[in-house]
Amino acid sequence: MDAVTGWWDDYFWGSMIVLQVFFFSLILMVLFGLIGAAAKLSNNRLAQKIAGAYTVIFRGTPEILVILLLYFGSAIALTSIAQVFNPDIKFVDVPPMWAGTIAIALIVGSYATETFRGAFLGVKAGSIEAARALGMSNLQTFIYIRIPEMWRLAMPAFGNHMLSLIKDTALISIIGLNETFFVAKQAIGTTGEPFTMYIVVGGIYLAFSTIITLSVMGMEKFGERTGKGAL
Amino acid sequence: MSFDLSLIYESIPRMLSGIGITFQLMFLSGLLGLILAVILLLMRISGKWYLSWPAQVHIYIFRGTPILVQIFIIYYGLPQFEFIRDSVFWPILREPFGCAVLALTLNTGAYVSEILRGGVLGVDRGILEAGSALGLSARQKFIYLTTPIAARLALPAYSNDFISLMKATSLASTITLLDMTGIARTIVAQTFAPYEVFISLAIIYMILTWIIQKTFGRIEKYLSRYVNP
Repeated sequence: MDAVTGWWDDYFWGSMIVLQVFFFSLILMVLFGLIGAAAKLSNNRLAQKIAGAYTVIFRGTPEILVILLLYFGSAIALTSIAQVFNPDIKFVDVPPMWAGTIAIALIVGSYATETFRGAFLGVKAGSIEAARALGMSNLQTFIYIRIPEMWRLAMPAFGNHMLSLIKDTALISIIGLNETFFVAKQAIGTTGEPFTMYIVVGGIYLAFSTIITLSVMGMEKFGERTGKGAL
Repeated sequence: MSFDLSLIYESIPRMLSGIGITFQLMFLSGLLGLILAVILLLMRISGKWYLSWPAQVHIYIFRGTPILVQIFIIYYGLPQFEFIRDSVFWPILREPFGCAVLALTLNTGAYVSEILRGGVLGVDRGILEAGSALGLSARQKFIYLTTPIAARLALPAYSNDFISLMKATSLASTITLLDMTGIARTIVAQTFAPYEVFISLAIIYMILTWIIQKTFGRIEKYLSRYVNP
């Protein structure tokens, strides 16, 4: 493990990038998931069709393909747009971080769509009738009844989605994101110890997923604090 | 930017020539992974700590790290050690194909074992009690009662995992293996036409996903033929 000594700071900054990608993609993933679920539950035929296509496409294609397509595809699209304004521009570079963040958020968001849809359908009709009987408005019912009850139902699957997100960040290194995986590649170039370097990467990801698993367990406990009778 | 249809026409047969590797990776690691999953499951429910602990550690590690890291540790990492290069496993570990199969097997084994465990835990207690009342031994109960019911319960989740495995085979392209994704990346590197090539490849993968879903749907229907008349 001596070889790792000089690389800890690089690994640290790599981990920070993993965290950064994780947080931004988490926000986007929840957003995509909620929009997708809303579209699937709406009465609008077109919205249902679009959301259906979204889940079929992103759940049926390998993650790496989505990332590659979004990265190279957006670079080409932006280049051709830029060339309209200035023909001298040869190539517009898209930051791998943003292409990657959006790509993994879209992928995991398609799984979250199904989770949120199921959870919204799992809200008991009795709870909503009770809220109506108490004179709550639609908005109040949504905020005080539907969201808390749906959130508890969605939590276990949502925890798995967060784990998928953190693990998918490793794939963004393929398009050149400067995260832990990328650091390991550079470190191997100078030290020639691939096993040690990749084990460190594995350890970092294991730590991240352990933290996520534990916090999801904590949140589930928090959700059940009022007793099982409440649900 | 233009959409070059003739390029799609040319590249699809080239990509399909890699479907053999994709299938080999998928079925070989699917089968070996299922065997590993059953072994891990038996270790976990054995009730002996020296069997259940290693199984839990395996599941924890392989579910907690990205599959890409696992592939790289096996393909690039293991040859760092002299004793591995001298061992009998070297002919397998030297080849990217062997490494990809090993990584996918270890990974899918961990996930599937959890799915199977969910199935085993889902078996109705009353059925097992009925088995005891009929004088079946623990082994007979496991083979004749738990296994068929657990298999039926675990099948929907297993089909999702099999699709994940199919998608994960595309990562073999990162260790120089020329599966469909590997060939597509080569074509893109030559032509720099990511839209045409990657979108047509995505459609091929979606068709595979659809076929897997339909097949498992049929198996599910067959297995539950006495349950839902």
